[in-house]
Amino acid sequence: MTEARDTPGLDELTAALADRRARSLAMGGAERIAQQHARHKLTARERIDLLFDEGTFVEFGLLAHQHSMSGAVTEPERTPADGVVTGEGLVDGRRVYCAAYDFTVMAGSMGMIGEQKVARLRRKAMLNRLPMIWLLDSAGARIQEAAGSTFAGSGALFFEQVQMSGVVPQVAAMLGPCAAGTAYIPGLADFVPMVKETSSMSLGGARLVKAATGEETTDHDMGGSQVHCYVSGVGDLEVDDDPACIAAVREFLSFLPSNNREAPPRRETADRRDRRIDDVEKLVPTNPRAAYDMRGVVKRLADDGHVFEIKPTFARNIITALVRFNGQSAGIVANQPMIKGGALDIDAADKAARFIWLCDAFNIPLVFLQDVPGFVVGTEVERQGIIRHGAKMLFAVSEATVPKVTVVLRKAYGAGYFVMCGRGYEPDTLVAWPAAEISVMGPEGAVDIIFTKQIAAADDPATARAEYAAAVRQTIDPFIAASWAMVDDIIDPAETRRVIIDALEGAETKRQRRAWRKHGVPPV
Amino acid sequence: MTEIKAELVGNLWKIVVEVGQAVEEDDTLMILESMKMEIPITTPASGTVTQILVREGEVVQEGQTVAIID
Repeated sequence: MTEARDTPGLDELTAALADRRARSLAMGGAERIAQQHARHKLTARERIDLLFDEGTFVEFGLLAHQHSMSGAVTEPERTPADGVVTGEGLVDGRRVYCAAYDFTVMAGSMGMIGEQKVARLRRKAMLNRLPMIWLLDSAGARIQEAAGSTFAGSGALFFEQVQMSGVVPQVAAMLGPCAAGTAYIPGLADFVPMVKETSSMSLGGARLVKAATGEETTDHDMGGSQVHCYVSGVGDLEVDDDPACIAAVREFLSFLPSNNREAPPRRETADRRDRRIDDVEKLVPTNPRAAYDMRGVVKRLADDGHVFEIKPTFARNIITALVRFNGQSAGIVANQPMIKGGALDIDAADKAARFIWLCDAFNIPLVFLQDVPGFVVGTEVERQGIIRHGAKMLFAVSEATVPKVTVVLRKAYGAGYFVMCGRGYEPDTLVAWPAAEISVMGPEGAVDIIFTKQIAAADDPATARAEYAAAVRQTIDPFIAASWAMVDDIIDPAETRRVIIDALEGAETKRQRRAWRKHGVPPV
Repeated sequence: MTEIKAELVGNLWKIVVEVGQAVEEDDTLMILESMKMEIPITTPASGTVTQILVREGEVVQEGQTVAIID
């Protein structure tokens, strides 16, 4: 026998639902939202509005909140959406997944339920082969839930991120703190923009550092953009504020395909494919010892002069940038003679290797602009491990099977010529400007090694040395390399844009298979 | 006070400023000869050159302070 009950009507139920939704959408409440704004930060939901094409964001897990380990509900009002907004939507018409940590809810701390939501996002990103975006503004793991040895079961988030690497693009936008182990989220991501002043990341937050080592510091001093975008190289781009950060995320994605099986999207341009660069002489000095700003050359070559630099303020002796050539995404790797003479050091090698791996993973062709006097030599760089760092760049450029085009503008010396995709590294096209100097080393260095005895025996060693140097200099001539068909052509610098576009189009159908291996053993 | 440091080991080829001279941000103070290049050592801040700690023809090490700007 059933007992008649007074069940609520649908109106009442939907009203209750609306009420719950409204409470969750209110995040940490008006006061905490005001505090967030006072810190010059947007809320998680405001950031999502900026990231996605209008009206396309679909959320899940809005009604989730914190629980105790025993399953009892604890203070649902304190943890709307459990501190992380999760869902999917369109960016420039293409679907991506996003987890936006909400600092107004328990300082954006990562709780158990919130982490389950983000785990579902990662799974969806892999199942559907679509990009994953983290908008990070989080104090780190919610220690109240995580302290103790149930920690033994955690950590899969990084394992999953590693499986995602090179399959779908991963972006970790730093819009606030990201302390403790969660700093490995940006550490494993493909692109990490950082907001000046408000963002930071560190393996241990300031309070943990104090407890562990006694060192007094702040999250900002330890891990702000002034550290990671300039010194450590963990950050990819320093931006002024939240809107600029979200714009950078959208821009980065615009160059990439949704996954490693797709081609990058094209962006049509009115910029002529055969546009000449008529002010080359103003940009690049003929004196081979004189420095200049390579960014001027990159800007003139790219479609519409549009250049999106990755790590522009780190290892500035090399430029890594996403550009387009006749609508096609391409990655530029260019030496920067203005900084350290364009010589390569450990940070430059790391920066370039990482960028080459990124482009190769996502089918973005590579264009190398060479003006490199070589790797820095000496006791200091050996202590820093220049050999293993330089070897990373050799590894990356050798592994890359995307179309590769190399232009030697001026200097191409020693292993610098190799890592910048010299002939041995299978560029699809390799051309040189008429003043190119391709050689194992410069004339002065060479004579001191080759003619040591002759110079010492000469009546006038200084004159003899100069004569030998002049003789060696005669052998450094791009027409010699061209005559041996080692470079494909010597080109008028003004025609470089057309030459690059022809070369990229010529390699569009390139399919290169390497010998099977589980994986190489990359130097680190 | 800003310490100007050499970013690369090399031969200090030319000093183009004098003690007491006013300089603007990004001005070239000295030119280093290294890696077949003339590499300008510039100042990240405007001010006055108060000390020059190296001489032309000297070999400077990476990280060595070569001048002070106040």
